[in-house]
Amino acid sequence: MGNRSSLLLREEEIAQIQEETGFTPNQIERLYSRFTSLDRGDCGTLSRDDFLRIPELAINPLGERIVNSFFQDEGLNDRVNFRQFMHVLAHFRPIKKNKENKLNSREEKLRFAFKMYDLDNDDMISKDELLAILHMMVGANISEEQLTSIAERTILEADEDGDQMISFEEFCKALQRTDVAQKMSIRFLN
Amino acid sequence: MAGILSLVWFVGSVLITPFLMILLCIVFLASIGKSLGVRRLYVKLLLIIFEFGRANIETAQKGSNAEDTSEEDEEHIEEISPLNSNATNDIKHLKTPNGLKKPNNGYVPNGNSVISRDDKLILVPEPPFTMHKTDETTDLSEAKDKCKDYDLCNIFDYLKAGMESIIEDQVTSRFEAEELKNWNLLIRTNRRYEFISWKLTVMWVCGFFVRYFFLFPLRVTICFFGICWLVITTGLLGGLPDCPPKRWINTKSYLTAFRIMSRSLSAEIIIHNKEHRPARGSVCVANHTTPCDVLILSTDNCYSLIGQSHGGFLGILQRALARASPHIWFERSEVRDRHAVANKLKEHVSNPKNPPILIFPEGTCINNTSVMQFKKGSFEVGSVIYPVAIKYDPRFGDAFWNSSKYSMMQYLYMMMTSWAIVCDVWYLPPMQQNEGESAIDFANRVKSVIAKQGGLVDLVWDGQLKRTKPKKEWRERQQEEFSKRLKVE
Repeated sequence: MGNRSSLLLREEEIAQIQEETGFTPNQIERLYSRFTSLDRGDCGTLSRDDFLRIPELAINPLGERIVNSFFQDEGLNDRVNFRQFMHVLAHFRPIKKNKENKLNSREEKLRFAFKMYDLDNDDMISKDELLAILHMMVGANISEEQLTSIAERTILEADEDGDQMISFEEFCKALQRTDVAQKMSIRFLN
Repeated sequence: MAGILSLVWFVGSVLITPFLMILLCIVFLASIGKSLGVRRLYVKLLLIIFEFGRANIETAQKGSNAEDTSEEDEEHIEEISPLNSNATNDIKHLKTPNGLKKPNNGYVPNGNSVISRDDKLILVPEPPFTMHKTDETTDLSEAKDKCKDYDLCNIFDYLKAGMESIIEDQVTSRFEAEELKNWNLLIRTNRRYEFISWKLTVMWVCGFFVRYFFLFPLRVTICFFGICWLVITTGLLGGLPDCPPKRWINTKSYLTAFRIMSRSLSAEIIIHNKEHRPARGSVCVANHTTPCDVLILSTDNCYSLIGQSHGGFLGILQRALARASPHIWFERSEVRDRHAVANKLKEHVSNPKNPPILIFPEGTCINNTSVMQFKKGSFEVGSVIYPVAIKYDPRFGDAFWNSSKYSMMQYLYMMMTSWAIVCDVWYLPPMQQNEGESAIDFANRVKSVIAKQGGLVDLVWDGQLKRTKPKKEWRERQQEEFSKRLKVE
């Protein structure tokens, strides 16, 4: 009985989301059912807490950053609706050859990862931003000096124009040999 | 109006005699523990009906979905091989804390999955302790080599793991009713119930009448009989001093009461390995799906129960049971006092005349697709443990009690208007704590045995996550894991 809300997804909405994200209607319906079960308050949108109630996500060192990525588009809004939810997930669809990939091209995937680092949205990863991520990843296990030296070295390796920052272009170059298509894709079933 | 009333009166008076006959027949058969095989036939018939319904839905859907499928198929041929990722994988949590290697570390893809996940990318609260301890001596130099410089792509695995857990995770889905592959003609289980075909609608209407106007009143009456029997017999037995005849009579009346009550759910219970039936003065542990687990197990053996004192309906049963045989009911305030409970347990088990004590170490109801962390308390007592695996067949009615959504009475109402409760019970060979084995390891060992037998997913997560947030330390463990692989100078 509690699943009745899944009826609220209308044909047009499915078609629209399919058009925008490339998910199949079946996947959209399944993900909608997931969306509604995460939505504890039954209000049609998700809050940060709704996400962090997933234990696996809550213990993920980057959990909060990942949740934040859902809340970026609309600025001040602190709730995510289903369309926004799907837009974020669409970045993780596998890349298909000979087909248009809107949100899930290699570049979009890299852009998404870049934004994980780029906290202030200035299209540059500064040393502090990199340090913030490193802190999240290692917790209290590695000393501050060591982390700083790691951050400096990482920037040095990627930085080409000598501004002590990593731009998106430099980020892409540094990850040239990484199999982004594989590492940033989730295997969706039908 | 008067005409209708008199018609109802007439029909009622004609039907009341066969109804009572059936009722008495069921209660009598239940009390002597015999079955005419009616329920078995009923279950078989239901299966045929479901199969027919499935075929019907499929043909109905084929007509409407014919166009979309053709274009989508190619998408899923192109897959990414999970094997390629091994070399560069950053998150490796292959083993569970007890060091047992499980190829499907918690993850079993079922028909309802949206995505296919790589085992190594699933974060668990306690990444392998033991693995590192044993490997340290031999692979110390090697481990050093495995450490890598920080790379910007190190976040990718966590990112993907996080996104995957948003789409599908190991834990939250265990606290909700399992989704069925095929509709079982109950409205509550169908995600998108709507008009599919007139045949199905007719079948559903017939089923509705049978369930609500025949089975339901019958079951309520049977249940009432069972409870009365329990309350009356325990009340009488409570007056007798403790002696062997009392225990014998108690066992009989206990079994009878629960057998009658189990009929009120049309429970078809298949018990395997009766030779391992829990003996007196021992501890019996089972996976927990619903309070009815007690009822299911009690149809075959007399148990002592342990748990929190409840009010209301459960309270009546608890007080009735406590009158005639030793049970451990503790107040809410005592729950925190683990020592007091442990002592009571020890005391109970030390008396070989006491019935085996039934414990559900998960501490909460799980939807019968998995077994979650066992609390170590019951494994510290040092007695013989009899593991029991219970697996319900969700097609006939979902046995899982979602206590955050339904009250006990709502739940019972749903159970009594379902088709039936069909379950398998496996008694497993008794287990004992090995020398030098910690209570936690022992608990995990027992849990994996139950999971394996019941065909359930063996999870390391704590069932209390249903109500509480994950512990901070678990994330710290993840951070520690990552730091270990990071090269620092």
